[in-house]
Amino acid sequence: MQVHKYDVVIVGAGGAGMRAAIESGQRARTAVLTKLYPTRSHTGAAQGGMCAALANVEEDSWEWHTFDTIKGGDYLVDQDAAEVMAKEAIEAVLDLEKMGLPFNRTPEGKIDQRRFGGHTRDHGKSPVRRACYAADRTGHMILQTLYQACIKHNVEFYNEFYVFDLVLVDTPEGRRPAGVVAYELATGELHVFQAKSVVFATGGNGKVFKTTSNAHTLTGDGMAIAFRNGLPLEDMEFVQFHPTGLAGLGILVSEAARGEGGILRNSEGERFMERYAPTIKDLAPRDIVARSMANEVREGRGCGPNKDYVLLDLTHLEPAHIDAKLPDITEFARTYLGVEPYTEPVPVFPTAHYTMGGIPTDIKGEVFENSEKTIPGLYAAGEVACVSVHGSNRLGTNSLLDINVFGKRAGIYAAEYAHGAEFLPIPDDAMEATEALLNNALSAEGSEKVGAIRKDLQDTMDLNMQVFRTEESINKALSDIAALEERYANIAIQDHGKRYNLDLLEAVELGFLLQLAKVMSVAALHRQESRGGHAREDFPKRDDENFMVHSMVYDDPSSETAGIRQETKPVIFTHYEPMERKY
Amino acid sequence: MSTATADKTEENTQAGAIPSFDVTVRVRRYNPEVSEEARWDEFKLTMYGTDRVLDCLHKIKWELDGSLSFRRSCAHGVCGSDAMRINGRNRLACKVLLKDLDLSKPLTIEPIKGLPCEKDLIVDMEPFFQSYREIMPFLVNVDNEPERERYQSQEDRARFDDTTKCILCAACTSSCPVFWTDGQYFGPAAIVNAHRFIFDSRDQAGDMRLEILNDKEGVWRCRTTFNCTEACPRGIEITKAIAEVKKAALTRSM
Amino acid sequence: MSTPLKPQIAVPRSNDRVVNGVKYNRSGSGRSKFEMLAWLYMRLSGILLLVLVFGHLIANLIVPEGGVHAIDFGFVGGKWANPFWQVWDLALLWLAMLHGANGMRTIIDDYAERDGARFWLKLALFLATAFVILLGTLVIFTFEPCPTGADAELLASFCPAP
Repeated sequence: MQVHKYDVVIVGAGGAGMRAAIESGQRARTAVLTKLYPTRSHTGAAQGGMCAALANVEEDSWEWHTFDTIKGGDYLVDQDAAEVMAKEAIEAVLDLEKMGLPFNRTPEGKIDQRRFGGHTRDHGKSPVRRACYAADRTGHMILQTLYQACIKHNVEFYNEFYVFDLVLVDTPEGRRPAGVVAYELATGELHVFQAKSVVFATGGNGKVFKTTSNAHTLTGDGMAIAFRNGLPLEDMEFVQFHPTGLAGLGILVSEAARGEGGILRNSEGERFMERYAPTIKDLAPRDIVARSMANEVREGRGCGPNKDYVLLDLTHLEPAHIDAKLPDITEFARTYLGVEPYTEPVPVFPTAHYTMGGIPTDIKGEVFENSEKTIPGLYAAGEVACVSVHGSNRLGTNSLLDINVFGKRAGIYAAEYAHGAEFLPIPDDAMEATEALLNNALSAEGSEKVGAIRKDLQDTMDLNMQVFRTEESINKALSDIAALEERYANIAIQDHGKRYNLDLLEAVELGFLLQLAKVMSVAALHRQESRGGHAREDFPKRDDENFMVHSMVYDDPSSETAGIRQETKPVIFTHYEPMERKY
Repeated sequence: MSTATADKTEENTQAGAIPSFDVTVRVRRYNPEVSEEARWDEFKLTMYGTDRVLDCLHKIKWELDGSLSFRRSCAHGVCGSDAMRINGRNRLACKVLLKDLDLSKPLTIEPIKGLPCEKDLIVDMEPFFQSYREIMPFLVNVDNEPERERYQSQEDRARFDDTTKCILCAACTSSCPVFWTDGQYFGPAAIVNAHRFIFDSRDQAGDMRLEILNDKEGVWRCRTTFNCTEACPRGIEITKAIAEVKKAALTRSM
Repeated sequence: MSTPLKPQIAVPRSNDRVVNGVKYNRSGSGRSKFEMLAWLYMRLSGILLLVLVFGHLIANLIVPEGGVHAIDFGFVGGKWANPFWQVWDLALLWLAMLHGANGMRTIIDDYAERDGARFWLKLALFLATAFVILLGTLVIFTFEPCPTGADAELLASFCPAP
C-alpha cells in the first residue's frame, strides 16, 4: 500500500474535475485521480453548445436564462443555484475562450451563438440564440481545452487510478473527509490518498440503461461510493432521455441538429411536434420531445419495419450548411446507420442521456449529509452532483455550463477549505471495505457472468424505467433488480491477475449499477406525479402540493422499500412562482 | 462480405431481421503474469450486420474470455480509447463495422505498434502523452486580458479547424514507421496539436513550438508516407498539417 | 521494430526510460538547424540535380554524333579541357553525393534501431562519401589527358607526340 498526501484530491477528470483542478491546482497541492485518461471522459461526446447570455447575436439576459432553466426543470430547480449558473455562465464561456477554446465566430469575430431546445427570449416568447458552440464538437473542444489548461498549470494526474472508497471520519464538528482509497489499474495496487478536501466529479450512471448515449465507463461510481458511505442521493428518479439517439444504437445526435433547422417527422411525414409544442415545436425541452416521440411510436406512427422510431429530417438544409455546423453527427449517421443525411432522414429514438439527480450539494459544491447540513471539505460537481440546477429536466447545453460553473466553484472552495484545515488521520481500517470488495470478487467461485447480469439489468431498466413509468413497471424493475442482486452474489470472474484486471472492475461497476438502479426505482416509486423527465402514467399530472420537494434517498437496511429510506428536501425559491409548463 | 451473405442463417431471412454471420477473430494476447511471450488466440463468433469490431471484443470478454483486456469508453469514435491494429491497419475498434471487412479471412486484432504493450491490447500511452505535453499544447497570450472574448475572424478560426479535431487516440503516431524505429520521433499527433496552436491567431508562442519541433526528432523526421493521414479516425489531413508546420519553421528561420 | 512488450511496470510509470532495450521519453534534445538545413538541401539539390543530370545526359548522349558510342577517353578529356564542364561536373559530383549520402543517413536513422549500429553505419557512410567526393574532385581538377613524360604507348591518340 502506498500513501500520498495532497491538500485537495479530485476524483474524475472530465469537464467538472478538470475545471476544478485548474482552480484548485493554482491555490493548493492538488491531485486528480481518474479511471480513464482525462481526454477519454464523456464530456468529449457533448456536441451542441454551452448557453450563456452573451447577447452576441441578439438581445438576451441572464435572467431570461434563469427563467428558462427553472421552467425547463419543471420548477424543481433550486432557484438560487439557477441564478448563480445563469449569471456565471457568461464568465464561464469567456474563461474557456481565454483558455483557447476555438468557438465558432460571428462575422465580426465574436463568439457565435445558436438556438437550443427550451432556451427562449423574454420568458418563453420565442427561441433565442444563446448556445455558444464549436461546430458539433463543443464538448470535445471543452474537454481538450481544459486538459490543455491543466497541462499549462502542471496539474498532477494519476491516470487509470480507480477510486473505490471515500474515507470519512467523525470529528467533534461532524463527519469530515480524510481521503480516498484508489486502485491502480496497471499494477493492481491499492493507494491511499490523504486529503483535506475531496472533490467528486465522476459523472453519471447512464449505463443502467441499454439504450444510452453514455460511455461504457459511466457506471455511477461516485454516486454509489457516496451512497455506501451513508450520504444521500437527491432526485435520482429523474433521468433525461435525449430525443435524438440513433435508432437502435443510442448514439447521440445533438439537439443542434434541430437548432439548425432539423425537423422530426412520423411515418405519415407529419411534423408532429407542432401538435405537442405549438410555439417552439421541435425545440421544446428534451423531456417533452422524447415523450412525444415515444407517444407517436406507441400510437402506431413509428417508422421502419418494426415501426419503432421516428425520423429526423435534415434534407431541406444545404449540404454546405450541414458540413459547417453538424459535421460529426452526420458522419455518425453515415458510419453507423449507412444513412446519408443530405438526402435521407435519419432514424432516431430517445436514448438515456443524463442523470439530473446525484450527490446533493449547495451552490459552493459542498455535499449535504442530510437535508440540512453539509460536510465542509467534501465537494461534488458535474453530473455526479445535484445542485440542483436541472430540477426534473435539464435544458440542452446546461450540462456543459454546470461542469464549468460548479466545477470552478468546487475547485475554489475545496482549495480554500484545505488552507484552513488540517489533515485528518486515516483510520487503520480505511482500506478494509475496499479489500473485502476486491477479495470477494476475486475469490468468487459462482456460476454467473457479469456481462449477462448487466445485460438483464439494462433490459429491465429500458423496459420498465424508461420514458413512461407506472407503479407496476417500477415494481417490476425492483423485483428484477432484487433477483439480479441474488445472481450477482453468485458471480465468477475469469481474470485473477493484478495487471489491468478490467474483468474485476466490471464486476465492481456492476455492483454500483445494481445499487443505483434500485435507488432510481425506489425514488421513482415514491414520486407519484409526472414532472419533467419522470412521467408516471398512473399519475399524469404535476402535483405541487405533495411533490414540490427534492427526494433524498439513503441506504438504510431497516427500510421496507428495498433497504432504501426516502426523505425530502425543500426546493429553494427566489422569485419564480410555479406555472403550468407549456411551450 | 461474401461470407456475410453465405453464412446468413435461415431464421434471419425474415423481413426486418438483421443478418447474422460467423466471424473468426484472432487477437494478440500478452500477459506477463501468465507468460513472458505474446500469443495469438482465436475465437469464433456469431455477429450481426450492425456490429462493430468493438462488439466482437465485448462478446469475447463478456461471454468467452473475461481476461481479455482492452480500453474503451464512448464506443462511437470521440474518446479515442480503443485505437488498435485491425487487419494490419490502425483503427478505432468502435468505428469499424464488420460488414465493411473481408470476413472470409480471420479478423486480426493487435495492439497499436511502437508503444510498449502492457497487457493484451493495452499499451503504455505515457511516451505518447509526453510528446504531446512537450509541444506546449495550450494557448499562450501574454497581452492584458480583454474584458470580453478575444476577437477572431472566421477565416482565422478556419485556419486551424482541421487540427482541433484530434482526440489523442495515437492511431497516427503508432502508424508511423519513423516512430516504430525507436519511439524518439515526436510523432504526427504532437505535430498536429502544435499546428492547432501555431496557426491560432490568438496564440503568441508559435515560435517556441516551432523551435521545439525543429529538434532532430521533430518535423524533419517526417518522410511523408501518409500512414498517419490514412490512420486518422477523425479524417484530419495530418501530413498536410505537418507540411504546413515545416513551411512555417522554414519561413521563420529564413 | 514490432510492439515492445513490457514485463515490468514501474511506479510512477512516466519515468520509464528504456523498455526492452528501446528508449522512450526522448532522452535529450538536439536543437540545431542541421535537420532543417538537411531537409532544405534535399529539396534544393534535387531541383538543381534535375538540371545538372539532364544537361549531362543531353551533352553526352544526344549532342555528340553517334550518341553513347561516341564517348571515349578523348571525349571526356575534351570536355574537361573546358572550365564550364569542369564546374558542371564538380557540381554534379558534390550535389549528388551529398544528396545520396544524406538520403542514406535518414535511412540509417529510420531503420537502425540501436545507437551503436547507427554510429558505425554512419561512420562508414561518411568515410565512403568523403572518399568519393575527394577523389572525384581531385580527378576533375588535376585531370591531364596528355601528361608529360608518360610512356608514349599509354597516351591517347590525340596527344601531341612527345
